[in-house]
Amino acid sequence: MDFLRPRTWAEALDLKAARPEATPIQGGTDVMVEINLDKGRPAALLDLTPIPELREWSREGDVIRLGAGVTYSRLIGELEARLPGLAQASRTVGSPQIRNRGTVAGNLGAASPAGDSHPPLLACDAVVEAESVRGARLIPIGEFYTGVKRNALAPDELIRAVRVPVARGPQYFSKIGTRNAMVIAVCSFSIALHAAERRVGTGVGSAAPTPRRAVAAEEFAAARLDWRGRSPLDPDVAGRFGELVAGAAAPIDDVRGRAAYRTHALAVLARRALGWAWADFRAGTGADSSAGSGGGDDRGSQ
Amino acid sequence: MRVNLTVNGRATAADDVWEGESLLYVLRERLGLPGAKNACEQGECGSCTVYLDGTPVCACLVAAGQAEGREVVTVEGLSRGDAPLPGAGPAHGDVSGEGLHEVQRAFLDAGAVQCGFCTPGLVVQAHALLAEADGVPSDADIREALAGNLCRCTGYEKILDAVRLAATRLGPPP
Amino acid sequence: MTTRLFGEPVQRREDPRLITGRGRYLDDLGAGALAAAFVRSPHAHARILDVDVSDALDVDGLVAIYTWEDLPGALAEPLPLLIPHPALTHGRTAYPLAREIVRHVGEPVVMVVARDRYLAEDACALIRVGYEVLKPVVGLEEAAGGAHLVHDDVPGNIGAHLVQEVPGPGGETAREAVDAAPHRLEFRLDVERSACTPLEGKGVYARWDADDASLRVYSSTQTSTSVRMAIAAKLGLPLPKVEVVAPDVGGGFGVKIVHPWPEEILVPWAARLLNRELKWTEDRREHFVSSSHERGQVQHVRVGFDDDGRLLGLEVEILHDHGAYTPYGIIVPIITSTQLLGPYKVGAYRVEFSSVYTNTVQVTPYRGAGRPQGVFCMERTMDKIAAYLGRDRTEVRAANFVQPDEFPYDQGLTFQDGRPLIYDSGDYPEALRMLKELIGWDSFPEEKARAAAEGRRIGIGVGCYVEGTGVGPYEGGHVQITSDGRVHVSTGLTSQGQGHETVFAQIAATELGVPIERVSVVTGDTRRFGYAVGTFASRAAVMSGNAIALACRKVREKALRIAAEALEADPRDLEITDGMVHVAGAPSASIPLATVAVLSNPLRYAFDEEAKRATQFAGPASDDRPPVAEGEEPGLEGRDYYSPVRSTFAAGMHAAIVETDPDTAEIRILRYAVVHDCGRLINPMIVEGQIHGGVAQGVGGALYEKMVYDEHGQLLNASFMDFLMPYATEIPRIETAHLETPSPLNPLGIKGAGEAGVIPVSAVLAAAIEDAEGIPIDRMPISPSDLHTLRRSR
Repeated sequence: MDFLRPRTWAEALDLKAARPEATPIQGGTDVMVEINLDKGRPAALLDLTPIPELREWSREGDVIRLGAGVTYSRLIGELEARLPGLAQASRTVGSPQIRNRGTVAGNLGAASPAGDSHPPLLACDAVVEAESVRGARLIPIGEFYTGVKRNALAPDELIRAVRVPVARGPQYFSKIGTRNAMVIAVCSFSIALHAAERRVGTGVGSAAPTPRRAVAAEEFAAARLDWRGRSPLDPDVAGRFGELVAGAAAPIDDVRGRAAYRTHALAVLARRALGWAWADFRAGTGADSSAGSGGGDDRGSQ
Repeated sequence: MRVNLTVNGRATAADDVWEGESLLYVLRERLGLPGAKNACEQGECGSCTVYLDGTPVCACLVAAGQAEGREVVTVEGLSRGDAPLPGAGPAHGDVSGEGLHEVQRAFLDAGAVQCGFCTPGLVVQAHALLAEADGVPSDADIREALAGNLCRCTGYEKILDAVRLAATRLGPPP
Repeated sequence: MTTRLFGEPVQRREDPRLITGRGRYLDDLGAGALAAAFVRSPHAHARILDVDVSDALDVDGLVAIYTWEDLPGALAEPLPLLIPHPALTHGRTAYPLAREIVRHVGEPVVMVVARDRYLAEDACALIRVGYEVLKPVVGLEEAAGGAHLVHDDVPGNIGAHLVQEVPGPGGETAREAVDAAPHRLEFRLDVERSACTPLEGKGVYARWDADDASLRVYSSTQTSTSVRMAIAAKLGLPLPKVEVVAPDVGGGFGVKIVHPWPEEILVPWAARLLNRELKWTEDRREHFVSSSHERGQVQHVRVGFDDDGRLLGLEVEILHDHGAYTPYGIIVPIITSTQLLGPYKVGAYRVEFSSVYTNTVQVTPYRGAGRPQGVFCMERTMDKIAAYLGRDRTEVRAANFVQPDEFPYDQGLTFQDGRPLIYDSGDYPEALRMLKELIGWDSFPEEKARAAAEGRRIGIGVGCYVEGTGVGPYEGGHVQITSDGRVHVSTGLTSQGQGHETVFAQIAATELGVPIERVSVVTGDTRRFGYAVGTFASRAAVMSGNAIALACRKVREKALRIAAEALEADPRDLEITDGMVHVAGAPSASIPLATVAVLSNPLRYAFDEEAKRATQFAGPASDDRPPVAEGEEPGLEGRDYYSPVRSTFAAGMHAAIVETDPDTAEIRILRYAVVHDCGRLINPMIVEGQIHGGVAQGVGGALYEKMVYDEHGQLLNASFMDFLMPYATEIPRIETAHLETPSPLNPLGIKGAGEAGVIPVSAVLAAAIEDAEGIPIDRMPISPSDLHTLRRSR
């Protein structure tokens, strides 16, 4: 095995082009588990932690450009107001020690259906910024997940950053696990109200081979919510929304839970999340509903 | 490969490191610091928690090469090294431990240790919690902060007592 | 007075080294030793066709590869069946390395020795074992069906079958009593598998001294003396040439009482053969698939009772899953069968168990050792009776209690030590009263109604148990006071975190009247104490604690005798305080224990000032007496043993309040209360810690932990990612109250406390969930997914 230690992003891209079989390693929270448990021995490890720009995030217009090396802990600490859904999901990732190392980009690289970042990224219309020596490209999140633990990256590509729109309305993430801490989701759900566009974003985790949106539920809710009058949420609408979200899932029975439970729980999570988000919307609270003029830094690095 | 790093304030180097090796293996097997423990090798138990550049991490999930040029503090580095504790082996046990950090002293006073295998990781993680905390953290905050450290013996109650005790003794941050 | 330490929450003397990273566990020893690794069966049931090691031979740093064919003499025989029993008609144990057949995933097939663990595992990966896969037997009822066999020569997969029967007061059988009872219930209960899962797995490190032809072995074990005897026997070494040391041990909970593990004899064998230090440390997956599991029972219950809920007859049939082998005999189902009775008088009782083989990891005791299953059975029975009669659940229990004036109370059964099941002391009505007060039992209905008004579901549950602790045959203690005034205590049993160094020092300091700082304690080191049984069955404090107290009393008596002579006083007038022997009421007439120790050992050579005082010319000695009087021994030391007639019975009662989410079926423990009676407390802080830890393991077993096998016998959740043990976020504060009814059976009046906490938790939480949900909970553990399934099927 080789340990490749690029100093710059350009060097990293060169190395990945020369050694497409090299496994990028950031927080190590997936890669090292595989090695430690002898589940696979990569030909080479490409350590991305020395590259300073990966540890930076910046605000570019209405979008946060989240460097591939920004840890969950920093995301929670520095970006909670602007990316509330993703920050909530980040809080549920592993333990403090894991959050101190793990990154959203790493979650994308592993592309596990149970990854906690995926539902809010889907709900928020995130875009993955991939790059290789051939150039950079933007991959809409909906096109990123291609199968169980597979993604749309080409062998020579690395994730440079994830672009996540600043919240324009309330966002929520919730998940169910058998245990409270350190738990892999039995199912998870994220919602984002895109108030200005009168649109609802969703993301469903752990309930299908890939993370996915619940498109029918989004369209139903967008049409039935009283955006102008902000009247209270009709319980029937919330209930139907939950059913439609559950209908978008294709769960399985496994050691973590039964498919029937996953479907049921997903409907509950979705119904509740819509309720919380709508209540925030009516109250004019929730994330950054002032459309981006809120305080806070415009960049961060470590 | 060779890995250069600073451990507990001392610059050091490990040789013949395998590229897929973890920082935990380097500390235990190559640098003679067995304080951090190996219980799961997948970041679930927290027994190998150490500081990496001031941030608590699971040493089993840090590739050895990622520690190049960085600063590591282990449980061995939290107590004052110049005051050797009585009882170097399992056969002894004078409880007069000078040089203990407040967190360690609180674990002792609260009876927060049983088999002790998870203790080094918990001591480091509790140390990190209190370094950040403003006053005595809430019960929920302590539980959340320790939610990556498995203990099979204590039921956690006396560990929580120890964290509160240490926080009280440390007082508000300057 | 600082020496009266019995009963005080003394700080643990183990901790300074453990909180600073200076503890020494197995894997912290033997830097530079060769490493062993094992090729283990990937199949639950298969015939080994061939083993091809040719590719592995190329691994740089490889030292040796061994299969069963390489094992000599007794090493090639099956591992010992440690606890034979007449009912275990078909006991079976594994070979140290599989011979022809593998019977569970994880069974060791090949041992590899290499320069380090990485290289050993590299070599393992290159060894190709050819298998003919056989039909695996998975699941209790499938195994009992007997369509396929785990062992060809064990018909029906039944390893053991035992019936115990106690007639009712009128001589009626349990069947007759149930049939004649005014009310009857019949039901089935299921308890799934779990496991001890200590944070530190097993491990062995062996050093062969070729010049001395002796072996020193370190093992992460609960019984170093017995490991020593097993190694000597298996390797054909004289016992004095083998020493076994249990270093700091990172938890045991039962799994490390089993011995010798294959690795415990293979590693010393190879170390001697290679004349090199050799170490093996178990990794987490190995621990899941190649150590032991427990729990795992199906119970069929028939009970008859009167209008007050008093039991008239109880019949229980138990199907017990023993996994692939029975090295520890049938201790677990015997304990279930007997301890099921709890604090109750059950009228006529009949219990029958069949212990069946399956192609899964073997089953041996895990903290509680069969009691959690038994208590689940009895306490679910009590709740069902209460529900049937519409009575308060605590009333029904109280109606059946053994009363305080009925001790000693003979349950009429044979316990796990082969002795009659006779409860020595207890006060169950008082314990229940305390518990009800602690949890607020009587006001709970209003609390529940208030919660219901808010759309919340909460429920309360209670569970009682009696635990036989401190089983024999014996433990010993050795106490020596040296001429520096230090007290050296040793006992043969081992420690895995129970604080033995502290509680035994408390006992010694109290008995001898010395400051605890002068006392040091060594456990589990055969170099210091060779006769012992081990640490299990909540026995260490009772057994070694009393043995050490008795040894101290011998030493004290001798010290007083010598001091009396020096002080020209009557020994009966002497006391020891703070390490000084003095005349009661006259502190100035005193002599330090250190000096007594000097005087106890007449010397020829004066190597220091203290020694000079003991030489033959130092003081007045009578010419007509030998320097060491007849019947005396030099030195101020003593050794004694404690061997009880039978176990002493601790008891406890737990209650919990839980909340279940009406939508997601998530389960949350709101409160957990414990009343615990382990006789006189030596160190309340340590006892509380034992209870908390036990409850936490119980919560794990009730809500999170299970072993998920598929139909091929693959364990699907063999990692900490999917075997869900509780973190600090899962365990509530545990409210604890102590009741102390001393045991009349031992000098210190103590009872065991180690296992207690875990025993009733599944029963208590099942009861609380049942109360919240109104759905019978007959199977544990229960996850939100399981509860959802129950809700849908009602």
